[in-house]
Amino acid sequence: MLTLGNYLIVSGLLFAIGLGGVLLRRNILVIFMGLELMLNAANLSLVAFARHGATAVGLPDYNAQVLVFFIITVAAAEVAVGLAIIVALYRQRQTAHVEDLNQLKF
Amino acid sequence: MNPLYLEVAVVILGLLLLVAESFAGPGRKSGIAHPAITGLILIFIATFWVNPAALDASAPYARFYSTDSLAIFFKQIALLTTIVVLIMAQEFAPVVEANLPSSRRGAGLGEFYALPVFTCAGLMWMASAVDFVLIFVSLELVTISFYILVSYLRHDRLSVEAGVKFLVLGALSTGFLVYGITWIYGVTGQTNLNAIAAVIPALKVAAAPALLFGLGLVLVSLGFKVAAVPFQFWIPDVYQGAPTPITAFLSVASKAAGFVVLLRVLQTFVVVPYLQEKILPLMALLAGVTMVFGNLAAIPQSNLKRLLAYSSVAHAGYLLLGVASLGAPFVGSAILFYLGAYLLMTLLAFLVMTIVAKAVGGDDIADFNGLNQRAPQLAFAMLLAMASLAGVPLTVGFLGKLFIFEAAYQQGHFVLITIGIVTVAAGFYYYLKIVRAMYWQQAADPDAPGIPVGIAARITIAILCALIIWLGIYPAPLLSLIH
Repeated sequence: MLTLGNYLIVSGLLFAIGLGGVLLRRNILVIFMGLELMLNAANLSLVAFARHGATAVGLPDYNAQVLVFFIITVAAAEVAVGLAIIVALYRQRQTAHVEDLNQLKF
Repeated sequence: MNPLYLEVAVVILGLLLLVAESFAGPGRKSGIAHPAITGLILIFIATFWVNPAALDASAPYARFYSTDSLAIFFKQIALLTTIVVLIMAQEFAPVVEANLPSSRRGAGLGEFYALPVFTCAGLMWMASAVDFVLIFVSLELVTISFYILVSYLRHDRLSVEAGVKFLVLGALSTGFLVYGITWIYGVTGQTNLNAIAAVIPALKVAAAPALLFGLGLVLVSLGFKVAAVPFQFWIPDVYQGAPTPITAFLSVASKAAGFVVLLRVLQTFVVVPYLQEKILPLMALLAGVTMVFGNLAAIPQSNLKRLLAYSSVAHAGYLLLGVASLGAPFVGSAILFYLGAYLLMTLLAFLVMTIVAKAVGGDDIADFNGLNQRAPQLAFAMLLAMASLAGVPLTVGFLGKLFIFEAAYQQGHFVLITIGIVTVAAGFYYYLKIVRAMYWQQAADPDAPGIPVGIAARITIAILCALIIWLGIYPAPLLSLIH
């Protein structure tokens, strides 16, 4: 039987992998994938919390599940805009690496 | 009037603008700025007749949506900022046209006026959000529209680069926010801020670390939005690369909305003593570091947009000092007054900068050399904005800082007040650098003609100048709006 803890560990791992990808990888597309993983980690733990914090009648708490749908929708919008911007960058410079983003400097 | 209609009206205005844009002939796209500005002014006037009591407290949406005076005041800030940003965008239109891929004149200009209207709707919802679901969705509406607006100049290398940096860091802060909300929900079983506040005192002590973890992640995300050190590193690059009107929009509206959410979230959690004694010292630490870093990093800057970016970090520090003083009797009013003052002086500075940069062709401080000979009125407006940002007495910026320091004094933050006063003095140095360039330096080309200013921009500059001086001497009207 899977417990709430199992789900939370997996979602924590997903979040850590996503954050690691954002901080360590140098390709913007891979960084973007890491960001999406972080959002999905939140989705997984939300669903797990909703299932295990069942209400008196045994149904899951639907508020959290609705929030999951909002997160999925927003993530889709973010990907659409984000990829468009990355394409614009690639057309301009033929690169998608963070080292090449060096026009703006301290 | 029911306050819900305000956002609905803004969204409908935005949709109508998009329709008008698609039917407008080539070369006439810039015309949609006029209905956008007029419509927003009408909605702004309507906010003064809003009746919060018209909202049915038992209706389902009342769980998400609050109509207290804080919400109404921030809606007014959002609308006013958007109006000035659109006026700035009109002045900025030639630069946008030159940097779009299309060869047809004016193509792609329409969305530059329509998108800020949708951003404004997001900001207004954010002002009323009292549920993490609405906070998240409205925050994303704002952030995603800003991604597009920041990278709008697709042939400009700086703009696209700033867009990518903003995209990665904005999405990162979204990730933190969502994961933080998840943990707060997991501990309390609620997403509504009032319900969370009701649940927290009854929680077991063992649940406190998980709750603090979630709250910490949410605060990191809001730290990104309000530009608090150590989450400020995206600010200078994005501010410099973005189109100037959008930089103004980001620095005023985005920061104000970040602070309203921060206030609402903190007010939920500081009711419990063991959370309060962890959160408020953290805020005080952030405030101190932000004030010092923002002011020191601004000193060596030679680009005016970068300088204003660091100055916006510094102002976030003074606002955080107010947040750290939560509990003082009128600290809420002090923060709101500061935000109102910050709005007036920052918009004025960016408006003058947009006009001058268009005429001179650059936004370095050196480009402002000898502006007084070329355009004395613009130079005077900039002088006023800089004096107010620095905090010279008899301007609204001075009173803003005074109220914040007074609230901090009542809460006994003496070290922070000392840091604040020292950093304000440091601020005088870099703000006056611009004044020196305008009044005491020789222009590169002494015979350059005067700078043309559009009629709407002229009126806006006059109004902003008048408000900065008037509210600096007699702040009662703004204070009565806040209460």
